[in-house]
Amino acid sequence: MKKRIISIILAGTMVMSMAACTSSGGDAEPTGVGTPDPETPVTQDTYEGDHNEIEGGNAAELENGKFAETRKITVEVYDRGNDGGTDPTNNMYTDYIKKGMLEDHNVEVEFVSVPRWTEVDEINNLLAAGTAPDICLTYSYPTIQTYADMGGVLDLQNLVVDNKNDIPHLWDWLGTTNMYWDKSVTDGTLWAIEGKRANNNRIVTYVRKDWLDTLGLAEPTTTEEFHDMLVAFKDNASTLLGADADKIVPFSCSVDVGWRAALLIESKIDPNISDKELYVNGFDDRKLTENGTKDALKILNGWYNEGLMWDEFVLHDGDTVEDDNMKAGYVGAFMHNWDYPFRGGEDSINANLKRLVGEDAKFVAVDCFEASNGEYIKYCDSTAGDRKIFFPTTNDEPLASLLYLDWISDPVHIEYLQCGDEGVTHTVNADGSYSFMTATGDPIMNSGQNIDMTITCNGLNLSTPELTLKSMYNNYPPCDPEDVKKANDVANNGKKPAKNSKITTIEAETGMGEALNSKRNVLYDTVLSCKPEEFDAKWDELMNDYLTSGGQDIIDERTAAWEKLYGDKVTLE
Amino acid sequence: MIKVNRTETLETRKKGPTRDIGLYLRKYWQLYLLLLLPLIYLAVFKYSPMYYVLIAFKKYSIVQSVAEMPWAKNYGFEHFIKAFRNKDFIYALRNTITLNLLDIIIGFPVPIIFALLLNELRFKFFKKSVQTIAYMPHFLSWVIIYGLALQLFTPSSGLVNMFIQKLGLPAVHFLDDGNNWVKTYIGLGVWQSFGWNSIIYLAAISGISPELYEAASVDGANRWQKMWHITLPGIRPTIIVLLILALGNILGSNFDRPFALQNNLVLQNAEVISTFVYKNGIKGLQFSLTTAVGLFQSIVNVIFLVLANWFSRKMGERGIM
Repeated sequence: MKKRIISIILAGTMVMSMAACTSSGGDAEPTGVGTPDPETPVTQDTYEGDHNEIEGGNAAELENGKFAETRKITVEVYDRGNDGGTDPTNNMYTDYIKKGMLEDHNVEVEFVSVPRWTEVDEINNLLAAGTAPDICLTYSYPTIQTYADMGGVLDLQNLVVDNKNDIPHLWDWLGTTNMYWDKSVTDGTLWAIEGKRANNNRIVTYVRKDWLDTLGLAEPTTTEEFHDMLVAFKDNASTLLGADADKIVPFSCSVDVGWRAALLIESKIDPNISDKELYVNGFDDRKLTENGTKDALKILNGWYNEGLMWDEFVLHDGDTVEDDNMKAGYVGAFMHNWDYPFRGGEDSINANLKRLVGEDAKFVAVDCFEASNGEYIKYCDSTAGDRKIFFPTTNDEPLASLLYLDWISDPVHIEYLQCGDEGVTHTVNADGSYSFMTATGDPIMNSGQNIDMTITCNGLNLSTPELTLKSMYNNYPPCDPEDVKKANDVANNGKKPAKNSKITTIEAETGMGEALNSKRNVLYDTVLSCKPEEFDAKWDELMNDYLTSGGQDIIDERTAAWEKLYGDKVTLE
Repeated sequence: MIKVNRTETLETRKKGPTRDIGLYLRKYWQLYLLLLLPLIYLAVFKYSPMYYVLIAFKKYSIVQSVAEMPWAKNYGFEHFIKAFRNKDFIYALRNTITLNLLDIIIGFPVPIIFALLLNELRFKFFKKSVQTIAYMPHFLSWVIIYGLALQLFTPSSGLVNMFIQKLGLPAVHFLDDGNNWVKTYIGLGVWQSFGWNSIIYLAAISGISPELYEAASVDGANRWQKMWHITLPGIRPTIIVLLILALGNILGSNFDRPFALQNNLVLQNAEVISTFVYKNGIKGLQFSLTTAVGLFQSIVNVIFLVLANWFSRKMGERGIM
């Protein structure tokens, strides 16, 4: 009898505990609706709950830009996981936005963090699970297109037109260029709007200024001189690094060769290349299928086999070893984002060099990869091509979401989010420009110029362009503003902004991004590091693989789409 | 207790089947109540998700439920056809089989040999310490093992290669050359798992009656003969069961080991089905295709399992089914 009772109790408790586990998920729904708590993760349930509640109340109408009843939206924000940063969903700047949105529009804003470096994977997971934030952003348009094809994305076309009067700042700031950049010419759908680049600087070559000085070399101005400089670095490793001579990396590159050697690769492209050619080969943003890319890789392969490059680059995909090498002073030259060595305040590459290596140790920008016409062409984005903002179909508050975009596109709000409070994050100079200070505690910006907060704006944007430029140079303490100015000048020399082909849907591209990007990286990494005599065979084999795995289909469909829209024309206005 | 139950059941069985079951259940219903919980667990977490294999035969849509999705072309087999036309999938299939076979050929005997050797040791303390040290790596994640491998095997800054170069030999590309990578992969796998896998053999060995050894000693058998004629046959059923399980997993692949160890230069040898599914399915959004691949993988695994089981029964051993 006793045994029987015990077993009933045991079984009973197990059943109860299981039931408790499953029902606690359901219980969260009502609490999530009534009391929005920034700590509570957003679930599908809360959307549904919100929606129902509002449906029960009055329909969406604005009075002086304000909702009668408080609405609630969720907004994606990148989590960069930076050392000493603040909680990306809850800091001084998110509070500023939350407060402003509540006061101006009666909309409650909740931020949902998504890791920056795996953003595409993460947003895929959220969308697939139906738990994506109301306002999503990603750098990957194919991701949006894929979900739009599945019916997972709201068409913004009518929304932005019908509510035009309620969102004046958004229209002023983005203009039709960015607003309609992704609008389909065939069916007029608009799945995403493009955040604006206030600054479309792209990539710059950096070399160690102090090494040049030590060896009595001038800054390189041609590819040849750049190579000679690398050889000089290698041959004088013991002068430059002493006991650490064997750690020298004259030219550093990561697995993403197409990005980290982009200026060399692009210098081999015909400078008179047509817009059509650029578009047709434009699926791969690393210029894999352009004429001339093979020549550039052959040069890199030569450098690699001369021992001028890092022989372990392929093993360090996704870790910080390469950056650590730069910070420790082992690297002689690299190509990267135009402001890369200045990013990160005290933890920036140049600040580390100054601290660890010496007062004059630093990377400076040089311009040395000349195209066949002698120009230093820099293919770059137009004002679009940065982050794309879209609303998943789980968004039940499209108007409130648009008002959010409008609010953060107000130049006054942009300026505050980028500059913070005087005396805390910046000081104002005599000429009116800002000098930025290394902030501590809550006023720290997790991203440069707080771009994660200003999703419709990338790049410093103050009241006048002159002020912006001057302030931008001051924007990287403790790095020298002169170095930033030089990098900006180099980045602007020979800029060739992208044009909008207006062709949005290429069937063959759907779902191919990941597979083809991976193949492209495999190709670049393999031909870069193979023996010189194997170069041609490897190139042909892997290029053939890339093209037969879908690359050729994309090129063909793009060619056909272009010819359908533009006929024989090869240039865009 | 168990003995008593058995006699009672036998007695009741004589009274007719219906009454028998009723009486039996009334007597032991508590046991079935307890069994119900794991059964519910299996139904909820293992069987009900199987419904979603239908995605393999449908055109995937994010907003529709599985039932609403339209069927794929070619009577629903579009994605299977697509997979087998995809040369990356064929590579992944080939690599999965190659790596798993090598794992079995090289990795399977090692724990048996280790257990036999350990069994011959006389010093208890030494035996225990060796055992503990050997199974320690089992608790390391593959990400950490890759970190260790980087410290040891990178071409210019790895410890092993520094040593090789000090001897005047050229650096060995353990991690970024296709063939060497396979060796490193298998080697690290063996290193990580042999200690842990030997535990089950040691347990089986300790179950062998000491009388057999004593009798053998009286007959003048040496240690080698005892090992060959008593210990090995004694653990043969265990070996067979584990071999069946290993063969049943010939097309299965754990994800973290190949994913942590692979890099762009060795992808041709290192891409396996699980990483293929991750990259193309989850990252590349081709859910239907990769569900089809996953289903194919599971079916082949079941076939292998059944075949291996059938074979072992043929050989006169007990199977697992």
